[in-house]
Amino acid sequence: MKLQRKRLLSQIILFFSANLGYPGYPGLKTGFCYPFFYCQACPAATSACPLRSLEQSVDKGSFTWRLFLFPLLIIGFLGILTGRAVCAWACPIGLLQRGTGRVARKVKKTPLAKKLGAHKAEKYFRYTKYLLLISLVFVTSYLIGFIFTDICPVGFLTGTIPVLLLNPGKFVPNFFFPFALVIFVLFIILIFIIERGWCRYFCPVGALLGPFNKISFYHISVKTDKCKHCNVCSYICPMGIDVPNMHRDPECILCGKCVNTCPEELITFEKTGWQ
Amino acid sequence: MKRFVAIQICALLLVSGALGGMFAFTPVYDEVRSGIVLVLCLSCLKLEPKTNAEFTFFTADNRTHAKFVLDNLSKGPVFLHYSGDACAGCDVMYPVIKDLFDVEFGKQDMFSTIATFESTPIPYIYVNIHHTTNELRDAQVIYDKDHVGGIPMFTVVTLGYDNGDVKPKYTTLYGTLATYGCDTDAERLVFLQQLLHQSIEMYEQNKAGYQP
Repeated sequence: MKLQRKRLLSQIILFFSANLGYPGYPGLKTGFCYPFFYCQACPAATSACPLRSLEQSVDKGSFTWRLFLFPLLIIGFLGILTGRAVCAWACPIGLLQRGTGRVARKVKKTPLAKKLGAHKAEKYFRYTKYLLLISLVFVTSYLIGFIFTDICPVGFLTGTIPVLLLNPGKFVPNFFFPFALVIFVLFIILIFIIERGWCRYFCPVGALLGPFNKISFYHISVKTDKCKHCNVCSYICPMGIDVPNMHRDPECILCGKCVNTCPEELITFEKTGWQ
Repeated sequence: MKRFVAIQICALLLVSGALGGMFAFTPVYDEVRSGIVLVLCLSCLKLEPKTNAEFTFFTADNRTHAKFVLDNLSKGPVFLHYSGDACAGCDVMYPVIKDLFDVEFGKQDMFSTIATFESTPIPYIYVNIHHTTNELRDAQVIYDKDHVGGIPMFTVVTLGYDNGDVKPKYTTLYGTLATYGCDTDAERLVFLQQLLHQSIEMYEQNKAGYQP
């Protein structure tokens, strides 16, 4: 089976695995944290969002080390094994962005998108996700009790909307709803105009996983000495990475598109330490 | 290269060992399951449930009443306050309840007292679902009248007359009471005072016939 079909199959299987909690069908509610971005407020959710556990661990000046370490260790375990591959192979929001990627790739061909994509500030803008993680998940939770979850667009998509659809007329919006709705609309626009725009710039779970690319067993390797710099790999990369010049880039989600595309077959998956 | 592989293996052993240790020696799995997965923070959901404040004899899924509630019901109407960490709605309601009963306690405390309202003793039980016992936490589903499964949640258990018997009768409110027309702390306080007044009236009418 071709690599990209395997990846699609993996994403679909893991999407259903993440949704085994609907009461009675089969109602599997576990005490794990997802190693990707998915909301426990989804009526079918099987596990907890890692961000929710982290936010709860530092609620208003308190510190619960168990809830702090637990999601980090789950993410760390997978991160050390496969780096940020979870984003491409498991995350349901990655699956969603795979669906919107076709439109985003068309937008990418427009002159404005090309200009913005090549702007030198773009690479710095990618640090936004680290800022979001530190500020809204940890700092504001600790200082004032305001948490990322209150305005989370993924929570809105996978929690709020399903709850409203399954319980028509049973709920009304609260104070955070209008803000979360605006952010959700921006999120939808983003993933339609920039391929993997959420993963590139804003995903706090991606920010947790990204640094593990530096030490992961699985990673993408480029034989730079033989590379002809045709840049086909960079063009196809959904994360917009300069693939020929990357070495264990925290942005790489190991989707394998560059591996499939390289005409010289110079890009490969490597399993350091397992050979 | 060998040093790098050694670092990778050490990191993996350290993380997997720590994760295994957490599962084996800490209650973190149960804490996440019961405190995050099974109970929703309504403000995180960005929604308030539209429910009524009518009293009923029927517990959720016809479960039996919690023993600690029945034990306290002989003293007066029981007020259960379910709250949690990292929950904006819980933070809104926390000072309102403290004002209602004129009590002082920490948000993460296990707290219960016999408060007084209109000269009637009210057993008040505060349950932060992230810092409590299984018995108190498990009682939440019993009184989850509208199957919302979220916090903040408030239950008033009083007495009612039903076909010749005096039985526990209760109502449950959710969220920041916005769906009951309360947008300020003062309005929330007045609403809860009225509810308590009503529950005390029902209690006084029926307590003579109550057999715990």
